[in-house]
Amino acid sequence: MPKEKIRTFRRGIHPLSHKAQTENESLRELSTPELLNINVAQHLGAPAVPTVKEGDRVAEGTLIAEANGFVSANVHSSVSGTVKKIVSFPGANGLLAKHIVIENDGLYENELMPALENPTKEDIIARIKAAGIVGMGGATFPAHVKLAPKNPIDTVLINAAECEPYITCDYRLLLDYPGDFLNGAELLRQAADAKTVLICIEVNKPAAVKKISGLLQTDDIKVVPLKVKYPQGAEKQLIYAATRRRVPCGGLPADVGVMVFNAHTAYSAARAVYNGEACTRRIMTVAGGGIEKAGNYWVRIGVPYQHIFDELHGGCDISSVAKVLSGGPMMGIAQPNLKASVTKGSSALLFLTEKQTERAKMTACINCACCATGCPMNLMPMKFEAAAKSGDFALAKRLGVMNCLECGVCTYNCPAKRPLIQSIRLAKKTIREKKL
Amino acid sequence: MRALAGKGNLYNGSGIYMKNLTVSTSPHVSSPKTTRSLMLDVIIALAAPLLASILIYGFYPLFLTALSVGSAVLTEYIICKIRNIENTVTDLSAVVTGMILGLCLPPVVPFYVPIVGAVFAVAIVKMLFGGIGRNFANPAATARIFLMLSWTGIMTAYAAPIDLGAGAEALFGYFRYGVSLDISAITTATPLASYAAAPKNLNLLNMFLGNIGGSAGEVSAVAVLIGGAYLGIRRVIDIKIPLIYIGTAMLFTLIFYGNISYVLPGVLSGGLLFGAVFMATDYSTSPNTVLGTVIYAAGMGLITILIRRFGTLPEGVSLAILLMNIVTPLLDKYINPKPFGYVKPPKTKKKKITG
Repeated sequence: MPKEKIRTFRRGIHPLSHKAQTENESLRELSTPELLNINVAQHLGAPAVPTVKEGDRVAEGTLIAEANGFVSANVHSSVSGTVKKIVSFPGANGLLAKHIVIENDGLYENELMPALENPTKEDIIARIKAAGIVGMGGATFPAHVKLAPKNPIDTVLINAAECEPYITCDYRLLLDYPGDFLNGAELLRQAADAKTVLICIEVNKPAAVKKISGLLQTDDIKVVPLKVKYPQGAEKQLIYAATRRRVPCGGLPADVGVMVFNAHTAYSAARAVYNGEACTRRIMTVAGGGIEKAGNYWVRIGVPYQHIFDELHGGCDISSVAKVLSGGPMMGIAQPNLKASVTKGSSALLFLTEKQTERAKMTACINCACCATGCPMNLMPMKFEAAAKSGDFALAKRLGVMNCLECGVCTYNCPAKRPLIQSIRLAKKTIREKKL
Repeated sequence: MRALAGKGNLYNGSGIYMKNLTVSTSPHVSSPKTTRSLMLDVIIALAAPLLASILIYGFYPLFLTALSVGSAVLTEYIICKIRNIENTVTDLSAVVTGMILGLCLPPVVPFYVPIVGAVFAVAIVKMLFGGIGRNFANPAATARIFLMLSWTGIMTAYAAPIDLGAGAEALFGYFRYGVSLDISAITTATPLASYAAAPKNLNLLNMFLGNIGGSAGEVSAVAVLIGGAYLGIRRVIDIKIPLIYIGTAMLFTLIFYGNISYVLPGVLSGGLLFGAVFMATDYSTSPNTVLGTVIYAAGMGLITILIRRFGTLPEGVSLAILLMNIVTPLLDKYINPKPFGYVKPPKTKKKKITG
């Protein structure tokens, strides 16, 4: 294959990747506990409505909560067993949500949908909707909603950039399931009515670039090697890097004829169409200094984080764990405890030590503009902070705070260690609530 | 706003409480750069001109710099105590201010000059306006102007380089002028003084190495360039500022003097290189945007040469820096970069789609 130019976006940062801990560990199966808590709000949009009640018997793939409204997604049981109860507690994203508690009977019976052969565009979208497939990179936007764009699409991007430190689950997926992955990419291309598929991979994963390139047979699917830089995998930055198109502020990728799907979403779509499997399992990176058996694992949706920790922490000193993150260190959500459970968007569970999350003491802003020089959206975070601190949220909005994608670059870069993102989130939230 | 960080719990397998977990908003990692590490890098870079000043003038400039650093740090410490606020001396910015001030003084001035300058720089220019990040102008540049206006005679009498071959006597020779106001016996003309008349008579190699009269840390162009290169490679300073500043200064030298022979001596004389590398790049007083930075640096180049060519002052670098420092808040307020993907408010047509 001809040498391709390595593409990227403007600005951004280079945090330490920490991927060596897990990238060479092949995929393993994680044991399943007796009780699973399946969140009915594990996608963006309205929570799904439970369709089962206490005592119902379910199999793996049984629909247990139905999409409620347009932007919503089905939720399926990930084991066979009995519904024990439905309780509300905070999920991994910190929001209170109903969880369907299922008692695992250890039989692992399957309930599959019929496999489709030569599906049409409508068949694919209907199946993706039925299987409850959402954006599995972490955004968890329902895939069937994305597949109903207002504008014609000519290019589908598969996001395998994986720019967050520590996370290697998409990399392992590409290496271990290239066939299913490419089938999924092709299905998404058909579903979007697009001409080409670009598979975007950062060049620090040469094995994946080589493997996928070697399997490509048509010119419709291409591998785009991308520079190693954070946030390379952010939607707008990825689109710019791969196609040189700029998604307009406040717009969607479809506005420039592009649709972006995570690598794992493509895999799950292929399994749903060709094997009839609902979205009940995913690959998850478990890593960090507080875990001995770090690696990538197949985990069932609904496995409590506590179970993962108990299974994998091995000889590591529990007291060395300072932070538990659902997701990567740049955008992940710190967990106050391990009660939350795996969702479709849980790409990683990190147990970081004090040293790995070290942040020097906050000092006064020195006006160095390091926040702005790194900002992939070309914003001025220091002005947002000043506006938020003085309560002038209208000013923050005029300065474009709503364009912030909360990638965390400014806060990472800040030599004065100011919590810029926190001010920005406050501003965005206040502007939305007060409709400024 | 204080960082909101809460505490959560971690249990072992049997549900026994083990440890508190930290809960905070993302990101959970941060760059190793801190205010202190940046200032430390500047101090390392300033070691080059400091060393050069010792080789050229002996140990007296080092003594002056030490006095200046000591007074700057002490002033900041005392003000923090009086105001009962957190001690900010540990961020090392006062050390940087002291070093820059010490190095932009003539090599021989009475001992109280750097002390008065450092107290003025830190107390008036920096702390009165709210401390680090809030100073309205570069403290060292402003203090230099203050000293220039207060002791014009002393501040414009430049001692000649010493003869290193004479050993310890030469190295410590200038200490005897430490309390004396009359240093006319050892002064020499600076290149800038004879510059306007006949630039061709200047020895460019001596000017590059620093074997000339001038301010202690400013004379050696090579030392300043080494320090600047270090800061540029470490990405501590925005390298655009010195490049554009010096570039514009060269351009306007050519325009206003009308002869190319003025250009190189113009760059190598006075405090242009030192000011461009160490003073103009001060974070607090340089703009936050690319366009702002270009205007800021070009403005300094223009003003410097205007003062040199048409003003009555011998040197315009500190004044140019001070003036553009004052413009910086305006540049920051009115220049706002367009966000990525910005479209003009009335959406007239769709973005052009290209394959």
